Amino acid sequence: MNSYKLNDTVNTRALIGDTLCKLADKNPDIWAVTSDCGGCIGNFAQKYADRYVDTGIAEQNAAGISAGLALSGAVPYIVGMATFVTMRAFEQNRSAIGYQNLNVRIVGYVAGMTTGGGSTHYAIEDVSLLRSIAGMSVISVSDPGLMMQALEYLADHKGPCYVRIGGNGTNTFIYDPETVKFQYGKGILAREGSELTIFAHGVMVKRAMAAADALKAQGVSVRVVDMFTIKPLDTELVIRCAKETGHILVWEDHYVQGGLATAIADALTDAGVTPKSFTRVGIPESYPGFGTDQQLYEKYGMDENSVVKKILETLR
Amino acid sequence: MTRQENIARLTDLAYEQRVRLVKLSGAYSGNVHLGGDLSMTDALVALYHYGMKVDPKDISMPTRDRFVLSKGHGAVCMYIAMSLSGFFDYDEIVRTYGAVDSAFGMHPCKIRLPGVECSSGSLGQGLPMAIGMALMAKQKKEGHRVYCMIGDGESCEGAVWEAAMFASSYKLGNLVAVVDRNHQMMSSFTDDRYMHMEPYAEKWRAFGWETIEVDGHDMGQLIDALDYINASKGDKPIALICDTIKGKGVPFMERQVKWHSGSLNDEQVAEALSALAQANERSSAK
Repeated sequence: MNSYKLNDTVNTRALIGDTLCKLADKNPDIWAVTSDCGGCIGNFAQKYADRYVDTGIAEQNAAGISAGLALSGAVPYIVGMATFVTMRAFEQNRSAIGYQNLNVRIVGYVAGMTTGGGSTHYAIEDVSLLRSIAGMSVISVSDPGLMMQALEYLADHKGPCYVRIGGNGTNTFIYDPETVKFQYGKGILAREGSELTIFAHGVMVKRAMAAADALKAQGVSVRVVDMFTIKPLDTELVIRCAKETGHILVWEDHYVQGGLATAIADALTDAGVTPKSFTRVGIPESYPGFGTDQQLYEKYGMDENSVVKKILETLR
Repeated sequence: MTRQENIARLTDLAYEQRVRLVKLSGAYSGNVHLGGDLSMTDALVALYHYGMKVDPKDISMPTRDRFVLSKGHGAVCMYIAMSLSGFFDYDEIVRTYGAVDSAFGMHPCKIRLPGVECSSGSLGQGLPMAIGMALMAKQKKEGHRVYCMIGDGESCEGAVWEAAMFASSYKLGNLVAVVDRNHQMMSSFTDDRYMHMEPYAEKWRAFGWETIEVDGHDMGQLIDALDYINASKGDKPIALICDTIKGKGVPFMERQVKWHSGSLNDEQVAEALSALAQANERSSAK
């Protein structure tokens, strides 16, 4: 496999394929299952034809078949567009995969307001939905290196997991691939800071780091936590950050309700910890229209400049 | 054992199965899906006691045939069929059915009840899971078959046809869909006012399945079909369509929409047992 370095931009889908091939090479139980999204699984179909399943455009079938494979001892990775692998197959995800606690990995790419496809194609409630399935882990990767590590980790993880991948085809290494370590259930302290904590996941982590850097230049100290495991949540880290920095801002390419912000609010409430402020940056209850992801982030105040402004107002 | 001896043995088991089902319904305070349980009884008995290779003493035997009850609301019928060969204790089923923390619930749960191959209950989800098992068996070059029982009403679910198209495309000759074609759903008859299923067998053929149609209450036809399936080396999945009567064997339930599910009082239990006994005597006298 190629070696990568910080700030490299890569084709995420090719990387999913490469990683799954690498796993399949070592582990005969690894299968890849897709619903007409074979282009994102690289050479898997050629190299491991007998462990490759394409259901055609039928995500419910892919989820059900994956459950059956897992019941027979396989570790299937369903790879497809986040919207459809989560929502179209939701009941199979819940009753076939979740209920039976099966080792199925649901890998959804182009999550969030990407592709310009409009609301039929935006996965913006996927975290909320999958988080609600008992026993289902939810991972949202911010960085291609973390993504590879997460997919590798999941070859041996017990129980079902959803892996959310944002970005419209390419993603940039925001961490040094040599040093960043995926640790299931533990957030990454991406920027140290003392006045406010930004919790972010997925494509927003990169923006959060840039916002923190911009604020630092203005003398404002902001902490950034990459909460790539949304479930199980790193509750200890959430509480510690709330206590240490007081102010909390949660930033995600997802509805402001039901995603990471809700998970963090729940954790704080349950622990009886009241932050000085709690700001949700995300998509309001609406059906977003068309445009690039950046244009939509600006529309909803989710871009870097808007968030810098919000933080300055909060701390003023 | 000769064919005739097998027919007699299985007919006796089907009688016993129905008796146990009625007795359980009498003992249980809640509703039981009696209509569909009675329609699929003969096929289920033929599968568990003739067609499928299963061993109650070795539930993880790698070479066992797999059974997926996609019409999961027939779980109790499966528990009883399995109890007749020693998988489970019938008295325990009766004692705990539907109770908190029981392994024996309205829909099968494999986590709670080892021996059951998969959890089911949401209609349309069983056939895809059976496909996953069949794919794995094929990839590993294992010789067992995967049987999946679905209801005809269940085949209103689109997921059944996604699966049907897939199974023939992937040449899963080790997969058998056993359809309990009882012509009824929960609240209506098929091919009546709402969902028109005919030509039903043709649909399976059109989806690339080898299709066998039998009288689902004729044990001779069932075992002949299972003999044929077990000898088959083809690469087409097989649909065994069992034409059945919902409520079969208990006259006041037969073809009655209200007996999709229900509870029996003592008088109804007595009436049902008496009707079953009379029918059994008639069939034994043949």
